[in-house]
Amino acid sequence: MILSQYRSHLVKFQSLIALVLLCIGIGLLSDKFFTVDNGWNVMRQISVNICISVGMTLVVLTGGIDLSVGSVLAIGGAIAAGLLKFGIEIPSGNLYIGFTLLGSILGGLVIGSLLGLFNGWTITKFKVPPFVATLAMLTIARGFTMLYTKGFPISNLGDSFAYIGTGWFIGIPVPVWISAVVIVVAIVITQKTALGRYIYAIGGNEHASKLSGINISKVKIIVYGIAGMLAAVGGIIVTSRLDSAQPNAGMSYELDAIAAVVIGGTSLSGGRGTIMGTVLGALIIGVLNNGLVLLNVSPFWQQVVKGGVILLAVIIDKANSKND
Amino acid sequence: MMKYFKILLLVMLAFASCQNRSGSAKQKKIAIIVSTLNNPWFVFLAQTAAARAKTLGYDSKIFDSQNNTALETDHFENAIADGYNAILFNPTDANGSVVNVQKAKKAGVPVFCMDREVNSPDATSQIFSDSYSGCVALAKDFVQTLNKKGNYVELLGLVADNNTWARSKGFHSLVDYYPGLKMVAQQSADFDRNKGLEVMESILQAHPNIDAVFAGNDAMAMGAYQALVAAGKADHVKVFGFDGAEDAIQAIKDKKVSATAMQFPKVIAQAAADDADAYFKGKRDFPKKLPVAVELVTYDNVNDYIAYGKK
Repeated sequence: MILSQYRSHLVKFQSLIALVLLCIGIGLLSDKFFTVDNGWNVMRQISVNICISVGMTLVVLTGGIDLSVGSVLAIGGAIAAGLLKFGIEIPSGNLYIGFTLLGSILGGLVIGSLLGLFNGWTITKFKVPPFVATLAMLTIARGFTMLYTKGFPISNLGDSFAYIGTGWFIGIPVPVWISAVVIVVAIVITQKTALGRYIYAIGGNEHASKLSGINISKVKIIVYGIAGMLAAVGGIIVTSRLDSAQPNAGMSYELDAIAAVVIGGTSLSGGRGTIMGTVLGALIIGVLNNGLVLLNVSPFWQQVVKGGVILLAVIIDKANSKND
Repeated sequence: MMKYFKILLLVMLAFASCQNRSGSAKQKKIAIIVSTLNNPWFVFLAQTAAARAKTLGYDSKIFDSQNNTALETDHFENAIADGYNAILFNPTDANGSVVNVQKAKKAGVPVFCMDREVNSPDATSQIFSDSYSGCVALAKDFVQTLNKKGNYVELLGLVADNNTWARSKGFHSLVDYYPGLKMVAQQSADFDRNKGLEVMESILQAHPNIDAVFAGNDAMAMGAYQALVAAGKADHVKVFGFDGAEDAIQAIKDKKVSATAMQFPKVIAQAAADDADAYFKGKRDFPKKLPVAVELVTYDNVNDYIAYGKK
């Protein structure tokens, strides 16, 4: 009895335990790991993955997946940078629209949300499997990014834009604030609102949810819209950190996001998982990335180690959920 | 009835396209097959080649291999089947692309390699950037700037890319002779600006006292510079890149980046298109391999250069 209780606690905190063990291990091997500076460094680096993987968690909880986040990130960042730097010019009407900082950011977010909503629409309206629909969007959004940037980076965006990714606010880096807000809002949505309950219900049993009167299409469209918007938030952070919107930004970021979600214990078949789990998953990946570089591990081995950790996390998760 | 109509329509369509092909047989077509369009450098290479082909009076089309040799094979097969008369080719892999060049030769379509080499005698001509020598020149400046002493970091490109190692070997062929120059970290940042930033941020935690960074391309160099700015070390750490991208040229002017190695994609792409033109006009003896020098760009001579070329 006590043992089983103990075990269920262990399951609940397994990601946390893994993270702590990982930190202790790296800390023992490198005296540079446990410094305040490096702590902010890791938090700043994972802020982008947090934005994407929180959105991904919501999608996965409904039983779906979003492979397009990396490309949507790229176009969100590119649109924000492009609007800020060049505005919109319509030569035929002899029209020029300039954008303020806020306006250009909003522009990027709107595009990201629209692409996400489009994902949700094709998935619910035409019954396209999420894997296929978002895979198509992965290519489409990347193509639009290339078209918009013509394949070249948009750089030198000015100091006020750089503040988003590199600035500090009350002693904490701005991107860390942004990811904190994203986390808090997502936790409130999943735990305290009807939308959150519907998300879990749909992932748990879509048919039963439908019978109980939940508007499944609406919930799914909203969820994919949120994922798209959060990808654009990530895109704006990356663009600001680099002082440049790169047309190839965010490539294969969907994999890092899915890894964070899975390591965090969210079931890929939906209905089970938490935002906090995903945050821990993102932290584990971030600490691993940081630690492997601090220890100057060969780039070849880094890929093997990262894949191994993901595999291990899922195996442990599977073993534990069988015990439940 | 509808069925017959559809068949009729299909037959007409097939006929129409046949007609179209024989009608445009006089107008030569050039296929431009590039390793990737996800990097501004290659976009520039492909666009310059297309523009030159147009000026010379040929139709052209750009194919993106997305760094995937299998996709490149598809492009070759399609280009050959579609009746393209020449291929301006930027290979994905020096060895992997050999079969594609052979295939084209068999079909009687000449292949002109741009920027990267392919280990095959079947290419009609190969005009490539001399990355190795370029990096030796860069290394020379590196040694001088650091006065033969200091700790440095190397950021490698994609570890599976030939260019990554050509550049790294060229650099080390000289720098490794100086015992005072110590490489404290060597990490890959995938030729990517964001990776360059993140990897550099972490390296700076482990090695706060470095004197220089050598990055395998300008995107990583700019990312590393961004990390140095954030850490307040940009003033005394020297950054070295490779490519001659717009951002890097501007950064050298602003004394943010020490030096880069300028490749000449415009020269290479135009020369390849000119070779194809000469081939159509009957020329057959091309130099098999033509290296185009990579030039060192520093603050002293930066005003002679623009992005991806000379003024």
